[in-house]
Amino acid sequence: MKPICKIAGAVIILFLMFIADIPYLSEKLVPEAQALRGRGAAFVVGAAVGSASASSDSASTSQQQAATAQQQSATAQQQAAASSGTKLPLGTVVSALPAGCAPSTVGGVNYYYCGENFYQAMYQGNTLVYVTTQPK
Amino acid sequence: MNTWKRRIAAAWFALGVLTLLVTVSTDARAQAPAVDPAAVRTLKRMTDFLDGLQQFSVNTHSMIEELHVSGHRVDYDPSASVTVKRPNKLRAVRTGGLMDQRFFYDGRTLTLNNPSEKVYATKEAPDTIEKMIDFARETVGIMLPSADLLYRNAFPLLMQDVTLALVVGKTAVGGVKYDHLLFSRPGVDFQVWIAEGKRPWPARYIVTETGTPSLLSITTVLRDWNTAPAVDDAQFNFVPPKGATKIEFMPLETTGGSAR
Repeated sequence: MKPICKIAGAVIILFLMFIADIPYLSEKLVPEAQALRGRGAAFVVGAAVGSASASSDSASTSQQQAATAQQQSATAQQQAAASSGTKLPLGTVVSALPAGCAPSTVGGVNYYYCGENFYQAMYQGNTLVYVTTQPK
Repeated sequence: MNTWKRRIAAAWFALGVLTLLVTVSTDARAQAPAVDPAAVRTLKRMTDFLDGLQQFSVNTHSMIEELHVSGHRVDYDPSASVTVKRPNKLRAVRTGGLMDQRFFYDGRTLTLNNPSEKVYATKEAPDTIEKMIDFARETVGIMLPSADLLYRNAFPLLMQDVTLALVVGKTAVGGVKYDHLLFSRPGVDFQVWIAEGKRPWPARYIVTETGTPSLLSITTVLRDWNTAPAVDDAQFNFVPPKGATKIEFMPLETTGGSAR
């Protein structure tokens, strides 16, 4: 009877040790995957993802580019719904001019006059956009 | 009774061995060399080769994965034709899709020009390609195709904070053999395919953001490498086409494009 108890005890200890090892194992087995999981928490859609070290002196230009592009396309898409006919706040960015715009030159500067708003063409990164403005 | 004792002893022994095995194997995995010197050597061969070029031209085709505001992935596919003359001249013509854009850098100014919309913008720029690329990205958010590889002495930049480097394998495209490498550092993985032989130029470059669950990538295929293109300094100078309007660059929001 006693030996059986001892064996049972040993088996239980063995079992417990394995249980204790499981989280430790999974962490060590795939450190990359673990690292990825850990970082996911700070995720914000369209936000810059670069680390501070990736700013000016690192080669992860493409990574930053992606973040910049995301930001820019998000801006454009949110605001592209603007149409002619309503007066928009100055500085509104659209990716395309509304229909029925006429080029207009004020003080040597080119604008597009579309119903209620004056637009000025500008580069936002590589993207050509139109910004509502007040001709001076 | 003796049998039982022996069995118990054997059980304890087995337990000890198992514990030891588990510990040793996890330690071995944790300490496995993650940076393969062979991968690093091949990368260095490529950057040394590119560093040594006085001038070159290459055609790039990129696939940029982005998240639409709806949360879905949308891919953009700009193509470009890039001509570089070191140390301070670069010209890129974006083609394909709806994009019609030219980029000029003549050592003093950078210019972006959309011929079909008849607009251009010019800005004073630093005096080397490397500084100009940083400047363009940080002040006005201009992206240059495969800029990571256009830097002279890109090696330390590419290797910075690298925690994993490995040779994935070899592959052949159009009769040319390539080494497929994978590198990882916090937040970014990149893969590069480097030609075997005397001209180890990159044929494909994939950068993946690993800091987000969506694992978005920029894939760039580099074709038609020419290490002795016919270049004329005039082709890096921008002359405004007739009827073109000069516009401005929108300053980059301080919270936006630059990382944090």
